[in-house]
Amino acid sequence: MNNIVEARNLEKHYGDFKALDGVDLSISPGSITGLIGPNGAGKTTALKALIGLCDVEGDLTVAGKDPRDARHKLMEEVCFIADVGILPKWLRVNQLIDYVEAVHPRFNRARAEKFLSTTEIPPRKRIKELSKGMVTQLHLATVMAIDVQLLVLDEPTLGLDIIYRKEFYDRLLNDYYDGNRTIIISTHQVEEIETLLSHLVFINKGKIILDAQMAELDALYTEVIIEPEHLAQADALKPIYTRDLLGKKAYTFESVPRSQLEPFGETGTPSVADLFVAKMKEGEHE
Amino acid sequence: MNKLALNQFIALLYREVLENRNLFIGAPAVLALLLFVFAAWFVSLTPGWELATGIEYLSVIFEGLSPTEMAPILMIPAIPFMMMLFFCGLIYLLNALYQDRKDMSVFFWQSMPVSNVKTVLSKVVTIAIVAPVFYVAVLFVVYVIALLSLTLFGIILDVQVAGLGYLFLGAVASLALVYLSAFVTSLWLLPSVGWLLLFSAFAKRTPILWAAGVFILIGFLEDFIFGSQYLANWVESRGNPSHYIIYHFSDVADRLFSYDMLFGVLVGSILLVGAICMRRFID
Repeated sequence: MNNIVEARNLEKHYGDFKALDGVDLSISPGSITGLIGPNGAGKTTALKALIGLCDVEGDLTVAGKDPRDARHKLMEEVCFIADVGILPKWLRVNQLIDYVEAVHPRFNRARAEKFLSTTEIPPRKRIKELSKGMVTQLHLATVMAIDVQLLVLDEPTLGLDIIYRKEFYDRLLNDYYDGNRTIIISTHQVEEIETLLSHLVFINKGKIILDAQMAELDALYTEVIIEPEHLAQADALKPIYTRDLLGKKAYTFESVPRSQLEPFGETGTPSVADLFVAKMKEGEHE
Repeated sequence: MNKLALNQFIALLYREVLENRNLFIGAPAVLALLLFVFAAWFVSLTPGWELATGIEYLSVIFEGLSPTEMAPILMIPAIPFMMMLFFCGLIYLLNALYQDRKDMSVFFWQSMPVSNVKTVLSKVVTIAIVAPVFYVAVLFVVYVIALLSLTLFGIILDVQVAGLGYLFLGAVASLALVYLSAFVTSLWLLPSVGWLLLFSAFAKRTPILWAAGVFILIGFLEDFIFGSQYLANWVESRGNPSHYIIYHFSDVADRLFSYDMLFGVLVGSILLVGAICMRRFID
């Protein structure tokens, strides 16, 4: 089956600043991809490029279309949530639903209203009168009622408290994701989406620095809490990141067989958050 | 146009009305209210016999005239509304492709399967066809209330009021002229509409400064390099107030089908294409 996103050598410059620097990305249908990176890494630029809101150089196909040619056609197959602030504040909730129903051929009003009925959002309220959490619920209810191939989420839970954040991802996974739809999520809050992901992409300074299936991480990365007497041997294997942990040293290795590391101490797979820090600081150990 | 495309366009127009209800409904309603306050103040100061004479005069003055002959005279109270539509239109066009970028809601609008061509065209249709409807509707209410009030005063003051009913037909005809004037003026000023939308789509802030500044700069460069003032003269010719008000229905065709109008529509269309291109990416 063709990938839903195929990007080759994407470049985007803002003056001298390279927001995207030769980005290659393949995303298969049905996957949940986490696009993780620090501020200014190029996450939003990459996502904007995917939905045709940003002109980039390079080859790009999303749902079989070039987003730069016909954004409006692409948006019949793709939904996008930027962050909590983007719904027009002057609209009322029911007016927003009316608008989406009128312009989107794949919108199911009954489904949206069913989602909304499980929230405390009053249909006659203006969006500016809703809390940040409610705005996100509303946006998610709208998007979940649209039958598309790809959902792109750029920092969707930014500024929300933990209850709304958890509810957002629970709904996304339980009420929306059906194994066929593809979801791309960019976020800072790595821990919250770690269990959702099937595909992990790290981006830094406009470059992809990690692109792996979650199932591959066990084989690719190992974290070892090194026993003091093995420090010299562990150093020789060039860990990509080291940190202090309860008086010991924790080393992260890339592409070193776990059997080779087990004699040095307790081994495990680093969490996505630890791996993220490791990849961001890769090389600092040397 | 298929059903989806039609629904999308209607939804875009509805969006414009909702978003700009203060400019299209609030502003003329406030003006109407001020007019009534002024009228009430005027009536309170006028002696009864003078009021009676005035109502009787109004009742007979148009005798023998057809509604279309009455219309140009009855357009006079509409002039402040037409001026307000002009200035509200200016504000609307400057913000039309700027405000959603400023409040970031552009990401929502652009996440819907609606083309930029439709979006920009909806702005033009809003100012040329939709906004005048609201101004005319408010004027209609003003005329109805004014005529009912005059009739009531006439009955109380025991003067002839039968002619006031006929005056209503003239008022309706005058509103048709007001609407046509607004529509033809929008087409006549399409280069300005296109220019304002172009800078509304382009400016990162204060589109009015860009729209005015670039225009002045081009005019200055033309004068400096070529020693001519063609641009300034052309714009000045478009500012002739006689083009803005249609006093007779027979003038509509003359105004619409002229080379000058055609040239203006062409220039305006090119500028609108520029606005559509500007809208393509949000960087």
